[in-house]
Amino acid sequence: MPAGHEQNLHQDGLRKPWATIGVFLLPSLAIYAAFTAYPAVRTIWNSFHRVLPRSDEPVGLANYAELMRDEIFWRSVRNTITWACTSPLVEVSVALLLALALYAKVPGARFFRVAWFTPVLMSYVVVGILWLWIYNFDWGPVNVALRALGLGSWAKPWLGDPNTALPALIFVTSWMWVGFNMVVLLAALHSLPREVLEAAELDNCGWGGKLVFVILPLIRATLLNLVVLSFIGKMKIFDLVWITTKGNPLWATETVSTYVYKRAFEWTTFDLGYPSTIAALWFVIVLGSVLTLTWLFRLRQKLEY
Amino acid sequence: MSSRKRLSIIAIASLAAAGLAGPAGAQQPKELTFWSHWAAEMPKRTFVEEAIKQFEANNPGIKIKQTWYEKTALYAGLKTALRAGQAPDIFYAEPDQVEYMENGFLLDLSDLNWAAVEPWAKEAWSYKGKPYGLPLEAWTVELYYNKKLMAELGVKVPDDLQLPPDAFLEMIRQARAKGMTPMALGVGDRPYPGAHLVHEALLKKLGIDDYNRLLTGKLAWSDPRVTATLKWLRGLTEAGLLPTTFTTLKLAEAHIYFHTNPGALTFLNGSWYTSRAFNPPDKGGQPKDFPLGIMKFPAVPGAACNECRSIAIGGSYVGNAATKHGKEVLAFLNSFASFEMGNRWLDNVQVQTGIKSDPAKLTGPQAADYFKMIAQTNAGAKYYFGIPIQVMTGKPKEVFIQVMNNAFPAGTIGVEDAVKQMTAAY
Amino acid sequence: MTMAALKRAALLLLLSLYTAFAAGPFVWAAMLSLRTTTEIHRNHFAPPNPAHWDKFAEAWFTSNYGVYFTNSTQVVVSAVVILTLVGSMAAHCLARYRFRFNRVIYFVLFSTIIFPPQITIISLFQILVQYGLYNSKLGLTLVYVAIQLPLTIYLLESFFARIPSDLFDAARIDGYSDWEIFWRVSLPIALPAVATTVILNFILLWNEFLYAVVLITEEANRTLPLGIQRFIGDTQEDVGMIATGLMIAIIPVVVVYAFFSERLIQGMTAGAVK
Repeated sequence: MPAGHEQNLHQDGLRKPWATIGVFLLPSLAIYAAFTAYPAVRTIWNSFHRVLPRSDEPVGLANYAELMRDEIFWRSVRNTITWACTSPLVEVSVALLLALALYAKVPGARFFRVAWFTPVLMSYVVVGILWLWIYNFDWGPVNVALRALGLGSWAKPWLGDPNTALPALIFVTSWMWVGFNMVVLLAALHSLPREVLEAAELDNCGWGGKLVFVILPLIRATLLNLVVLSFIGKMKIFDLVWITTKGNPLWATETVSTYVYKRAFEWTTFDLGYPSTIAALWFVIVLGSVLTLTWLFRLRQKLEY
Repeated sequence: MSSRKRLSIIAIASLAAAGLAGPAGAQQPKELTFWSHWAAEMPKRTFVEEAIKQFEANNPGIKIKQTWYEKTALYAGLKTALRAGQAPDIFYAEPDQVEYMENGFLLDLSDLNWAAVEPWAKEAWSYKGKPYGLPLEAWTVELYYNKKLMAELGVKVPDDLQLPPDAFLEMIRQARAKGMTPMALGVGDRPYPGAHLVHEALLKKLGIDDYNRLLTGKLAWSDPRVTATLKWLRGLTEAGLLPTTFTTLKLAEAHIYFHTNPGALTFLNGSWYTSRAFNPPDKGGQPKDFPLGIMKFPAVPGAACNECRSIAIGGSYVGNAATKHGKEVLAFLNSFASFEMGNRWLDNVQVQTGIKSDPAKLTGPQAADYFKMIAQTNAGAKYYFGIPIQVMTGKPKEVFIQVMNNAFPAGTIGVEDAVKQMTAAY
Repeated sequence: MTMAALKRAALLLLLSLYTAFAAGPFVWAAMLSLRTTTEIHRNHFAPPNPAHWDKFAEAWFTSNYGVYFTNSTQVVVSAVVILTLVGSMAAHCLARYRFRFNRVIYFVLFSTIIFPPQITIISLFQILVQYGLYNSKLGLTLVYVAIQLPLTIYLLESFFARIPSDLFDAARIDGYSDWEIFWRVSLPIALPAVATTVILNFILLWNEFLYAVVLITEEANRTLPLGIQRFIGDTQEDVGMIATGLMIAIIPVVVVYAFFSERLIQGMTAGAVK
């Protein structure tokens, strides 16, 4: 919170014009209540019911009990968590290297910055289709390049093999988000106080030393923010999987989001209760892990960047 | 009579006249909405579009508002639209969608002209004693092959069109030795092509009754006959039966893979092969003068019933239970239920149908030849009605699709693991 | 050549390689969009020669992209307008007035940023059906407002809070009403921040897929991401035409990016680092 904030608040606030406050806040609160709070509560209500098109029937904890035994669900949890844990590390570390490179004042830094940022502007639908083509067995650039390098035996349908499908998709998200992370880190680097860096220069500690002992601690908060952000994004992932693999093969790329969607709108049941149960439990897991992460990183007081 | 009164009588009379005169007058034509799969399958589209035109000509008060979809988009849209009460009056469905009937979404079609429909096809659409779908499309699983490549390979297809197990394995080995893909098949966008292998083989091995018990969970997947058959299939895939791209190859691509690029020796597919392959070559059809042959699925070692095969009802039209125009919907569906329409379907679409028809009376030369081949592979057949994903539901179905359609034929998991997963699914 | 120059050259090479990797797929897609599928299958990596610009017209008129584009524009533009108005009102209020529960309300609104969409999407489907808003552009618009509201309020609140309060005191002495203070003082000053949220919301919603796929079924109401998805369907993939469709979806974003890249980067990174 910026320093001036608290003072600003009470200046006008002394009068407490409730009617005015109401007018200003009401639209937001109404939208929030109708399209966020009520649906969320209703999902939790659903999770204790069998929700068929023409009838709701309370089933107590039966959905939760079934969920505990549902191997596909746990498989999707494993995949999603794998994704959410590997992606941030890859994205942030590669981004840091790139940001440091640009920070070293190479020519055309502005161009690089703008170019690298582009992938994140595209929808996952566009990105998914593009990478379906890039991974195409016969004419996708990946296999074409491998064959050109004489490594034709390594060519394979990357998204069709349970061993490579998930890593291949994780790679896509990294490709998409590295540039974004880089831009944020670059901004953080530029905001570092010159004197500190110059002091380090004088102390004649090497480039590596400067990075580890001076720069990293200074941008630690930004780094951790990015990790949490990437983590949240991957816990939600749906579009990319839906466009490319739909969770196949053999549930290798099934994520919690795709499984909820399948159970709600694709399976041969019309029941919305069970998928709501998955959503409710997942909600708790996501909330819990984000809170744990921020607590671990002690980011709470640094939430404002 | 006051002038005012007279005016109103004239008005009423003219209104009534307009009503009798039909859509040209004040009365709005009734509009039936209609969603169908087959956006990309021209012969079927043409058949349906002509049927609509004819129906509208015969029933001037009714308009059909038609939208073509791809199957996945259609299914996803219908699932939500039905729940929301916004589904069209008439739509495409297949008989495996029991959930529609369970939840009372489909219009009872008891009053349809069922005399014009094959009894087994009506049976496929019956739920708790009432029929719900017009079974337009019927299909068998056929093993298509390229006659020219087969001859080059020196493989002789026997007179009964069924290769013995060893000869089939030998065929695979020879094809691979010549750098040829023995069988085009892909599961990139469908839950069943790979499962055709397991399906046809297990059906033959077990016979109709035991096979049905297997699919409905009354016979264990660890039954020695099942594992023996899976091991045999495993031998075939390990010999290189399927393309490297099996897991990502889409249905339409598999067609092209078979007849055009790069070309494969055989192609295991529903008899609706024609609806894509008989398009012009630049629309994904097979080349002109393609040497198409059809043989039976090979004999299975120690099979109880090598003449057993499946016939399934595919694309059908159903009415929405919530429609405001039940009578009109029924009339429209009825316009398909005639011997003449059955034969026109065969002639144009060149796939079997659940409507009564007579392949001998076909006039189109291509259709006649094609159905002669289909008749030969189906001679003396004992039919199992349906394919596994039509018989199974819920979790067993999901596991079956992942394991038997994809992972097992792809060679990702072994026989033991596959059996274990199937057993755990029930 | 000195060691330092050599190092610099190596670094530059590395960065260029990464640029090719980051931007390559789009250059490729742009090339594909100007070629016919037959040409593409002859060589997937050849430049468009001749360039078939008419493919864009074809995609627009015969492949229905015109409808998708119009729908996307209608939904996204109205959502962004509502978001900007409603969001800045709330942000102004939360930043300017001190009252009980101010921070509670702020936290409640803001914390939904981390909600996984599943927690609302199934019941949103049920609720929109009940309200008769299912499969309608209006329904989708309102949902879009709801999902972007937390981020909008968050970004604007922090900006409004930084406006010095002297300005407001002066305005009040001049006899401005509460609404006028918001409309004629706060908002104009905050215009850069407002512009950032407008651009940011535009791009995020333009690309939105999950809610659209659940809440829209009819062809006539499809937005662009849904429309594109429809074309990766049953037929032998018409790679050329799909690529043209991809470009139609990308172009508005690219245009916005070309004009506002700095502002957009600012917005996304500020919105990100919360």
